[in-house]
Amino acid sequence: MAAVNYLNPKYFVNRELSWIKFDHRILNEARDKSNPLFERIKFLSISASNLDEFFMVRIASLMDQLNAGYDKPDIAGMLPDEQLTSLSVAIHELMDLQYTTLNRSIMPALEDVGLTIIKRHENLSEEDGKFVDKYFEENVYPVLTPMAVDSSRPFPLIRNKTLNIGALIHKKEGDKTMDFATVQVPGVLPRIVELPKKGKQTRIIFLEEVIERNIEKLFLNYTVVCSYPFRIMRNADLSIEEEEAADLLKEIEKQLKRRQWGEAIRLEVEAGMDKNLLKKIKKELQISDENIYSIDGPLDLTVFMKVYGLKGFDRLKIKPHTPVQNPAFNGHSDIFSVIRKGDVLLHHPYESFDPVVEFVRRASKDKNVLAIKQTLYRVSGNSPIIEALSEAAENGKQVTVLVELKARFDEENNINWAKMLEQAGAHVIYGLVGLKTHCKITLVVRRESDGIRRYVHLGTGNYNDITARLYTDIGLLTCKESFGEDATAVFNMLSGYSEPMFWNKLTVAPLWLKDKFLSLIAREKNNAKAGKKAEIIAKMNSLCDRDIIAALYEASSAGVKIRLIVRGICCLKVGIPGVSENITVRSIVGNFLEHSRIFYFENGGNSEVYCGSADWMPRNLERRVEIMFPIENKELKAQVIHILDCLLQDTGKAAMLNSDGDYTKIDRRGKKLFIAQDYFCEEAAKESLSAKDEVSKSNRTFTPEIHK
Amino acid sequence: MSTKTFAAIDVGSFELSMKIFEFNGKNKIREIDCISKKLDLGSDSYARGKIDLKKVEELCETLQEFKNSMESYGVEEYKAYGTSAVRESKNMDILLDHIEKATGIKIDVLSNSEQRFLDYKSVAAKGEEFRKILEGSTAIVDIGGGSIQISLFENDTLVSTQNIRIGVLRVNEILSQASVPTSRYRDMCGEIVMPSLDSYKKLYVKDREIKNLIIIDDYLSPSAVRKAVEKNADPVMTVKEYDRFISDADNKNSTELSKAFGIESTIVPLFIISSQLVKWVASILGAEKIWTPGVRLSDGMAYEYAEKIKMFRGEHDFERDILASAYSMASRYECSRKKCEHLEKIATGLFDSLKNVHGLTKREKLYLRIAAILADVGKYVSLENFGETGYQIVMNSEIIGLSHREREIVANIVRYNVSEYDYNNSRADGDLDSASVIIVAKLAAILRVATGLTGGYIGKIKDFKPVLKGNQFLINADSDMDLTMEKAFFESKAGFFTEVYNITPVLNTKRS
Repeated sequence: MAAVNYLNPKYFVNRELSWIKFDHRILNEARDKSNPLFERIKFLSISASNLDEFFMVRIASLMDQLNAGYDKPDIAGMLPDEQLTSLSVAIHELMDLQYTTLNRSIMPALEDVGLTIIKRHENLSEEDGKFVDKYFEENVYPVLTPMAVDSSRPFPLIRNKTLNIGALIHKKEGDKTMDFATVQVPGVLPRIVELPKKGKQTRIIFLEEVIERNIEKLFLNYTVVCSYPFRIMRNADLSIEEEEAADLLKEIEKQLKRRQWGEAIRLEVEAGMDKNLLKKIKKELQISDENIYSIDGPLDLTVFMKVYGLKGFDRLKIKPHTPVQNPAFNGHSDIFSVIRKGDVLLHHPYESFDPVVEFVRRASKDKNVLAIKQTLYRVSGNSPIIEALSEAAENGKQVTVLVELKARFDEENNINWAKMLEQAGAHVIYGLVGLKTHCKITLVVRRESDGIRRYVHLGTGNYNDITARLYTDIGLLTCKESFGEDATAVFNMLSGYSEPMFWNKLTVAPLWLKDKFLSLIAREKNNAKAGKKAEIIAKMNSLCDRDIIAALYEASSAGVKIRLIVRGICCLKVGIPGVSENITVRSIVGNFLEHSRIFYFENGGNSEVYCGSADWMPRNLERRVEIMFPIENKELKAQVIHILDCLLQDTGKAAMLNSDGDYTKIDRRGKKLFIAQDYFCEEAAKESLSAKDEVSKSNRTFTPEIHK
Repeated sequence: MSTKTFAAIDVGSFELSMKIFEFNGKNKIREIDCISKKLDLGSDSYARGKIDLKKVEELCETLQEFKNSMESYGVEEYKAYGTSAVRESKNMDILLDHIEKATGIKIDVLSNSEQRFLDYKSVAAKGEEFRKILEGSTAIVDIGGGSIQISLFENDTLVSTQNIRIGVLRVNEILSQASVPTSRYRDMCGEIVMPSLDSYKKLYVKDREIKNLIIIDDYLSPSAVRKAVEKNADPVMTVKEYDRFISDADNKNSTELSKAFGIESTIVPLFIISSQLVKWVASILGAEKIWTPGVRLSDGMAYEYAEKIKMFRGEHDFERDILASAYSMASRYECSRKKCEHLEKIATGLFDSLKNVHGLTKREKLYLRIAAILADVGKYVSLENFGETGYQIVMNSEIIGLSHREREIVANIVRYNVSEYDYNNSRADGDLDSASVIIVAKLAAILRVATGLTGGYIGKIKDFKPVLKGNQFLINADSDMDLTMEKAFFESKAGFFTEVYNITPVLNTKRS
């Protein structure tokens, strides 16, 4: 038999099309009637905001490739124009489904539970009409800037992602030529306008309808012939995508210099928009038909996140989960002594992120702490970690912080607090040239009676106390010397020093991680060939690295059982005879965002478990600084394996990838409903309680409260 | 238990590095951190004789960072050493002053022999492994930027140490000036280094068979250590395994090499040179095993510091190595070992009995012992003027473990043991500071008396007991032979002693 070429493009799925499937799975949660209604509208909103980002980053990038004449096929052998064509079809389908879901399922259901969304201003009663007109005059009119286009006034700049109302107008007297006019629906005002309640019924109308109703007031000497909302998306994110190949980057950089700022890549218009009006907008924006989306319903569904926030509907939402304290910390106030007793594994958001914040906070005040070093990728607005770091610097500790300025959409926020840290006396490293620092690591150096001891936190998620309540992540607190040495070496490398002679425990990208994964996969393959038990379980956000996928195919063919839990993009195909028959892929889309990266290798019965910050994507493995760390403590390893087991058993939120490339929810016939995320919540609560019990029973003395 | 932290800074030819160590009083040195940055000072020094100002600025910046890092560990003491690149830079003094003003860090410059001695100590810091490998005949091959040092050991004792100017950066300079492409480095390297290695073998190795090589280098060792760690083994290879290890490098371009050996692409040429050097040295010595302990100068600095603060006592007797290297030098100049030993013994005896008078330390006693061993080397060149020729020989030889200043002291003791003491020259001739001049005078005076006592024949004086009585130094010598000649000779030698100590040495002979 001829050797199989595992790199053959036919064995791969285009990553963008796979991403669309992921957004479909989110939308499916909006369609799933077993979810509380308001959770469904949240998923609807997420699917829309995800799609917006996808346009700005991915579609924009593909268009750049096309414009630059880049003609290298992708992992699945598709050229940029082929991808764009397929994507246009897929996105139209996705958006159609979004709006059918909204119009046919969600809106009627909302009406039933006491929320009416008045779709058109024409449907307002006289009384309501008066109400909104007054609202318009008092609140809206003063902030509007209507702009008309004629021979002396050029087409205005329509801002990215803003909602606008386009109109055709002509002078009431004299020349009756049609002019184009536009007004931006102001972002400073709430998009939702609440009408007076009718009985128990909450009633809302969207701001653009209120403006449309009053549009004549904006163009007093004109007759408004027609007006319709529209929204455009531009290739606004001009920073070059890190995901592409280096040669492409160069090409695009050249092109960028020649190109005008922010080319329009998507135009959304209300269905039934006047043809002349559409033609005018289309011409001015130079946008082609396949990038125009005619929409039956309100534009920009991200507004439903605001709808989710309306008061009085808590019964239709999932009760917010309160993270519990990890049992190791119960009854202990000194975090360092807890870590000295043994490694601690944190499973967020089931377990609280507080110990991580506390770790930095305590270190900032502890007189024996000499230095704190941390990498920060995305932090929350009023981050307690930043506060603690700046206090530490003020307290004379050596504080080194690597701030990743290139974290997309967060640049400005990052610069502000980085400057604040610098002022406090911290040494701030503003990222590395050509690499994004994505690893999550904190090192605390402490002088103790028997010498220097290093405490390390390693995580799969960002140091962000807000997202830590929503994202599932794993964290490890340890003071093992081997980890401490490696952590020091990581920060040395991030500071521009040479690599260490060798690593004890950590594997770092971009230099070593990919090879390590490939060798771990190859080891399973060899074990399978040698007749030993061989298995890989890997959980990540995305899987699209060609070499890793090929290695997985090879391992699968050798008989390695491979179970993948991939939330988002997956360029791997399952069930190809002789290639991927032993591979399963499931995606879990639940209330919490699955974010942890966990890797299990059977290793001939001596299993190894790793966690890390990297997905199996070229950008993670080749263009980012990432860390993978082993979970070696027997109990903690068992905990992580248990997490994987539960996720693999999920019958509620998991969807399986089929050999035809589609994802389907697990067939529950004969199976119990098991939702891993719910289970983890219950389990964490139970464990925390029982640990508290133990502490209170073992305490034979009482501790008086001290009034501070 | 009290712990101490110490930073060892190595301003090397190709790299600036700092290691932070912790000593916790349990005879245990723990390395806490190691940071290093590539900075090629060597190429400037070796090719242009001067370190470029831009590099000096970079050096200062990095040292400043090192300082911050020291603070982050609460480091109490540091030592910074510059090696050959700094040493060979013509603007060394200006440079060092500038660095100290800019960063507050004082860099001491090591002589080659001091540097090698520290490297050697760094291997010794490995303890048990070092002791074990030294059981067989061993060579330490210390590959530096400017030169390599080969030290041969037999029965746990140093027998010879030699410096050959075929260091990695120097060879690289030659190859790159000759526009040799990296792909041809492997072949061309042998052509450059073999002539020197051949002469070395003829002169110093002769028929000796050296079984083990200990490699100290910055280019090959890290990869070798890494490979060993991956396999969970000691970084010891047989020569065959070594050949296989480096043959991985055959037919690979720089990028492939850098990936295969986990090294930066800028280091690839140096890696090739270093690995070839080891190969050639192994072949001329007929070695069987190669150990790459992956130590650096800074490890030796830690060892030295730990000894200084009495928090570490190594097993290995380094003083013996220094003396052994002096003996092997003496034998090269055809001095009789017996005679050397005899003089050394008498000089030591006199030194000890004068402890309260001269106020010198153990280290200075070592100078005297070395000078006693080397007292006659000058005779190899001239029987008439052997004080001067002896001085020249010592000044131009390497004595491992001695700094340049120390070597100059020894050379002067050898000189003034026979030559008339020159009150002006002793200072004007060399770089000796006045403290060293005093040491020279004090020790030369003792050596003269000792030489007087030996009188040129071994074994005439069986035993002697020196006693200090008032301002007389009574030396009661026991002999069954006639000591008339010794007495006369002694008196001619004693004048200088009286001048230095204001004590008159008196030889009392007793016939047993």
